Amino acid sequence: MEVELIEIRQFLEQRNPFFYLASELLDELPRDIEIRYLRRGSAFPPQDGFLYIVRSGAIEIFDEDDELCEKLAEGDLYSVSCQLVNLSQCSRGEASEDALLYMLSCTKLKALCRASPAFSEHFSASVKERLKSAVSTIQESADPSVATMMVEVGSLIRKPPITVASGMTIRQTAALMSNKDVSSVMVMQDDDLIGLVTDRDLRKRCVAIGLTGNEPINHIMTRDPKTIESTTLTAQALMTMTRQRFHHLPVTQNGRLVGMITATDLANHQSANSAYLAADVRKSKTVADLVEVSKRLPNLHLRLASASVTARHIGEAVSCLTDSITGRLLEMAEAELGVPPVPYVWMAGGSQARHEQSSHSDQDNALLLSDDFDKQRHDSYFEALARFVSDGLDACGFVYCPGNAMATNPEWRQPLKVWQGYFSRWIESPTPMSMMLSSIFFDLRPVTGKIELFLPLQQMILKKSQENRIFLAYMMANSMQHRPPLGFFRQFVLERGGEHDETLDLKHRGIVPITDIARLLALSLGKEPVNTVERLRACAGTEALSEDMAENLEDALEFIASLRIQHQANQIRKGKKADNYVPPRELSELEREHLKHAFRVIQTMQEIMVKRFGADKLG
Amino acid sequence: MFARLLGKEYQRKQALARAASGPLHDYLATPFIDRQSDCRRIEIVAIDLETTGLDPSKDDILSIGLVHVDRFGIRLSTAWHRIVRVDRAIPGETAVIHQITDDQSAAGAPIAELLPEVLRRLAGRVMLVHYSPIEQNFISAACEKLYGAPFVVPTIDTLEIAQRVFERRNHTIQPGDLRLFNLRPRYNLPQYRAHNALSDALATAELFLAMAENLYPGRPCPLGEFLSKR
Repeated sequence: MEVELIEIRQFLEQRNPFFYLASELLDELPRDIEIRYLRRGSAFPPQDGFLYIVRSGAIEIFDEDDELCEKLAEGDLYSVSCQLVNLSQCSRGEASEDALLYMLSCTKLKALCRASPAFSEHFSASVKERLKSAVSTIQESADPSVATMMVEVGSLIRKPPITVASGMTIRQTAALMSNKDVSSVMVMQDDDLIGLVTDRDLRKRCVAIGLTGNEPINHIMTRDPKTIESTTLTAQALMTMTRQRFHHLPVTQNGRLVGMITATDLANHQSANSAYLAADVRKSKTVADLVEVSKRLPNLHLRLASASVTARHIGEAVSCLTDSITGRLLEMAEAELGVPPVPYVWMAGGSQARHEQSSHSDQDNALLLSDDFDKQRHDSYFEALARFVSDGLDACGFVYCPGNAMATNPEWRQPLKVWQGYFSRWIESPTPMSMMLSSIFFDLRPVTGKIELFLPLQQMILKKSQENRIFLAYMMANSMQHRPPLGFFRQFVLERGGEHDETLDLKHRGIVPITDIARLLALSLGKEPVNTVERLRACAGTEALSEDMAENLEDALEFIASLRIQHQANQIRKGKKADNYVPPRELSELEREHLKHAFRVIQTMQEIMVKRFGADKLG
Repeated sequence: MFARLLGKEYQRKQALARAASGPLHDYLATPFIDRQSDCRRIEIVAIDLETTGLDPSKDDILSIGLVHVDRFGIRLSTAWHRIVRVDRAIPGETAVIHQITDDQSAAGAPIAELLPEVLRRLAGRVMLVHYSPIEQNFISAACEKLYGAPFVVPTIDTLEIAQRVFERRNHTIQPGDLRLFNLRPRYNLPQYRAHNALSDALATAELFLAMAENLYPGRPCPLGEFLSKR
């Protein structure tokens, strides 16, 4: 290559997706480029049949309604005219600043795509594939040295399943096991797993009782062994093993055998895990003890974040611990205050209910009391109980809810019939106030107490909200106050209408919209789950939510939430207070790219839902 | 002297009569592009030379870089860069600028081998340079020496265009204002770090596109308006 075109090679080689290309391809690449200059105000693209790379200046892209969709700056790509099927409605634009453009013919682009699958993926029309790869990239970039129990067992499998056919002799099986250096094999009848044989079986069921080794393996195998799905958390797998005294568990993926996990694998994998913390919570005798244990929560958050743990599992781990702390506080309160005068349920709201808490979430809770509750006689007990728990949670780092959505508030400490009245009113005549409460009280989960009290309330909520189209329309309209931005432009967040913001609020511009979507879908279909991913899965494949969209939303949520966790972990490491605000300069080019796709998914779903629930027809 | 007044086409024919048969003769035998042509529709060759000094009678061409601009698109596939073998030692003070060492030069090709390619590429096209006397005079001196006739070429000079733009706006020109790398940011063009014949030719090509688009936004760009008066 002409050494002088190195300037152009260098510009390209550090940019997504060109950095995926092999060095020889990058060397050749500048030769295939044509350079063009567009004066401000000129139409873009100047010519079809090319991929455009902005070298300097800026390009604005509009949709059919003249709304700004995207703003390209230095290093940004425009590939619409090379896409076989044009899925984007955003296909025309103009230079908003004088711009120098590098052009690569679509023919050449196709050749590069054939040469590099990773490069090619960037231009794939499937948002699904892109978000999937985004999530795995962010997890791969995490520090794998910190092992935890929050990992899925599938990720611990190192070898493909070692199997023998039913009817093989014991001797042949033993030979295979020593040959493959494994302590167990799975016995298959055609494609079905019918048994499991371990070293121990060979010793105890064969050698010890004097079999010759020429008998079929079926004689000594454990029939119909228990299996687990590869998505099971290691913590759960360990529990299954200890409870049932297994040392080996075959792992399946969608029912298909993918490998074997052993107790040793799990033991090797545990270090800093939330199970230890949970045990310490249970052992705590005083609030002061709990406060001590809770001090380790940010650290747990940090360790989980630096291990290959998904945002979803971190939220689960932290929420489970909050549940344990709450439970322990209630036990302490009851020990101090005596037996409760009427049955009650302690309910968690908001992120704790959804199992999506972070170590610094504030507390949202409420008390659901039996209808035998008599305010005059009983409320002083429950007031004291609520005070004890709420103060305790605050001391443990789950600060008081600024909106006073806590059981200490007499409004949220009521018998079932009052709660039912509340929900009837909220659903049947929605007001701005009830909409504000919806993100707390329409995500409601019993933590401890007399759970049966909760079921009639839950059923009533699901039945009523499902039937009330106007309520759903209001909820959708309300959720539209949190919309994702368009994307990024240079070091700014690009807003609708073209304004620029300094920082991106990951929570309100990314996570909350998806949480709102999932809540509304679940309520409209009468689905019980409270966790966002579970809600999406429960609603997937219905008329309201396609399987594809459900998966895209789940991936988008996981990606944005992982970014948030990493951002917060970095802040905690630097001794700063964790927040949700990320300046775009802290994001890699790839992360910005993936975020943009995640935003598109959210935006598309919001638009679908506004129409579906008639939120656009409200006054 | 009078030849200039009579126009490039006349000069071409005069030179053609003098040129020995060979590359320069072939080059001069090709008619020049019509002055009425639209720059957006023709092929232009941006070229830059690195030299050991400013005087073609004493100094040498060290390297040649060029790239074609076809219908206002810079085609990098046409990029061409060569180091010239110079028999004299390269003065240290200029080596600082072009960073071509004696060793690199020794590995280059003699100008006699390179000039035919330059002439072949320029035939029937327009030469684009920033400050034309260097390229014009050095190539011409080499042609006189090798083929016995001067080099005649229709030229676009971005420095001249810049001068005209400044004058038209009544800007006083500060020292350095007209340098290639000081003009580029005015048109939102990126800064290139490398300084060699090809990257300068490319930088000149980009500057020309930017200037032309700003002078004739979205309109035909009459070649005659851009041609150097020199």
